[in-house]
Amino acid sequence: MAMNYNAKDEVDGGPQCPPGGTAKNRRPDNTAFKQQRLPAWQPILTAGTVLPTFFIIGLIFIPIGIGIFVTSNNIREIEGNVFMYYGLSNFYQNHRRYVKSRDDSQLNGDSSALLNPSKECEPYRRNEDKPIAPCGAIANSMFNDTLELFLVGNESYPTPIPLKKKGIAWWTDKNVKFRNPSGGESLKERFKGTTKPVNWVKPVYMLDSEPDNNGFINEDFIVWMRTAALPTFRKLYRLIERKSDLHPTLPAGRYYLNITYNYPVHSFDGRKRMILSTISWMGGKNPFLGIAYIAIGSISFLLGVVLLVINHKYRNSSNTADITI
Amino acid sequence: ANDVSMIKSAHIGVGISGQEGLQAVLASDYSFAQFRYLQRLLLVHGRWSYFRMCKFLGYFFYKNFAFTLVHFWFGFFCGFSAQTVYDQWFITLFNIVYTSLPVLAMGIFDQDVSDQNSMDYPQLYEPGQLNLLFNKRQFFICMAHGIYTSLALFFIPYGAFYNVAGEDGQHIADYQSFAVTMATSLVIVVSVQIALDTSYWTVINHVFIWGSIATYFSILFTMHSNGIFGIFPNQFPFVGNVRHSLTQKCIWLVILLTTVASVVPVVIVRFLKMNLCPTLSDQIRQRQKAQKKARPLRSRRPQTRRSSSRRSGYAFAHQEGYGELITSGKNMRAKNPPLTSGLEKTLYNSTSWIENFCKKTTDTVSCFSQDKTVKL
Repeated sequence: MAMNYNAKDEVDGGPQCPPGGTAKNRRPDNTAFKQQRLPAWQPILTAGTVLPTFFIIGLIFIPIGIGIFVTSNNIREIEGNVFMYYGLSNFYQNHRRYVKSRDDSQLNGDSSALLNPSKECEPYRRNEDKPIAPCGAIANSMFNDTLELFLVGNESYPTPIPLKKKGIAWWTDKNVKFRNPSGGESLKERFKGTTKPVNWVKPVYMLDSEPDNNGFINEDFIVWMRTAALPTFRKLYRLIERKSDLHPTLPAGRYYLNITYNYPVHSFDGRKRMILSTISWMGGKNPFLGIAYIAIGSISFLLGVVLLVINHKYRNSSNTADITI
Repeated sequence: ANDVSMIKSAHIGVGISGQEGLQAVLASDYSFAQFRYLQRLLLVHGRWSYFRMCKFLGYFFYKNFAFTLVHFWFGFFCGFSAQTVYDQWFITLFNIVYTSLPVLAMGIFDQDVSDQNSMDYPQLYEPGQLNLLFNKRQFFICMAHGIYTSLALFFIPYGAFYNVAGEDGQHIADYQSFAVTMATSLVIVVSVQIALDTSYWTVINHVFIWGSIATYFSILFTMHSNGIFGIFPNQFPFVGNVRHSLTQKCIWLVILLTTVASVVPVVIVRFLKMNLCPTLSDQIRQRQKAQKKARPLRSRRPQTRRSSSRRSGYAFAHQEGYGELITSGKNMRAKNPPLTSGLEKTLYNSTSWIENFCKKTTDTVSCFSQDKTVKL
């Protein structure tokens, strides 16, 4: 109690030792970490940092945007490699039930998954009491129109344009993700015990005559299995390679597109189209990115100017170093 | 004794360990050895704690709104089938690995003004009393910010991916590339946002923020590699994706654009607020920065805890012994020499700071003589 207080006993600034206790100092360590004195950088948004940043953003983005826009619009001359795409609209390859309806182990050549596909593939898992290879709704709805391009030249007989069907899928897809099942010499033997998907005409081991483009590693199949993100998309169908530097890949003239129509899209109000395009350093024709860059660059620059004006006007009134409470 | 129940029923119970035994200490939320430490507890630690907590909460709501609402916009384009825009692993790891540490570091280390300035300007305590830093209005602002960010995060890649092909002509607008682009943009945007929010950058903050981004990319590369696909083909279907999409220039242009579009409005609003109507905290911060530049660097000597040069007034019951305590002058420190910064300080007269402080609160303050406990 207070009667026990003795002015001499007090240690300056230190805690009182409990009676009978040890002379332990319970003061916490005086380190920078524990006393929250760590050396630190304390940035503040000042006019000197923000305004130049906005101007720099404007000055960088506007040229980038113009560059992208001009490049995108210049994709017109049919020189260099020409890419032939088929495009679909209103086709929801990004629907959740659709996206998960596949079996990646089966597509990787796993023999147990070949004969016993995963439950995710329902209802396209078994047919006629046999497992479906490849299973799932994605494989079942594969695009199977055939497009052929002919040049109507001076002669009455139209010359077919050579369309390359290899090199259209991602390298990792064709060589790592998709593998044919092993065992047996012919592909037909390896797929024994399975049946073709319901909507297909030919089974998977007859997709192409060449052995390195047949079965699961058929490139058209691989391209289709890479589901699109949005309901309007295009997928690479064929490649038209440039012949030489002297001749344009697709000379001017009349062309004739022959479509073998196997793929019905009317029932869900979908649309199909064929696109021929060249490619620039940033990909196909896409004006959006260029316009977006120009827009944001100019907004940023404008805001920089506005902030400069505001800052200048109000700088005189609040430039005192005094703290006003 | 009877004080234990008072401590327990208070909002914050503070006990002072002393010669009267440890009962009060054991029942209290905070305890220390001398009554004068209460000032530091409230003005420095309490205030910082409120400030950090509000920032933490605001950022956390914003981050999760930005992360989740992207699926709402995607619903319009995927037939409302609840397809996720990111891949499953990203969703699992986002809140645990990629964004947890920076906000934790901000919640632990952040300071707006130094501790000395917190003690010199008790008015800084007002935002805590008036509930200014996190209330309904602030919550709606966080939510609006999150909604705006999710719009930028979704629609900029949407426009860029609409019906396009990649650099080598091959498929780029596929679901997996879209997911990778959006996930990368999201991680970068929220990291830039926490970088803007953090006002006290210690080494740990730097390590956590940049380390989280580095961790994201390293995990991304691992999950998309051939090796792990070979082991678990069904769990890691994104094989080859990073190699294909993140090597395309147009994807990086999209990410840069998204980041700038999300961050620029925040910078504008904060800059205008700070320059046109700065709060006391902002003014002191600017003053601190100017002082730091003016003062030459010298080595820090270990600081002794200084209390402010105010006299404390207590109300005590008349009992023998305390008179000697007070008259011995042990509770009163010699006046510190005035600061050389030339600041205008409003001087407090001899009425205690605690009485002024009490006028603002609605709870009663009672000072007791037997046990030195303060109920707030």
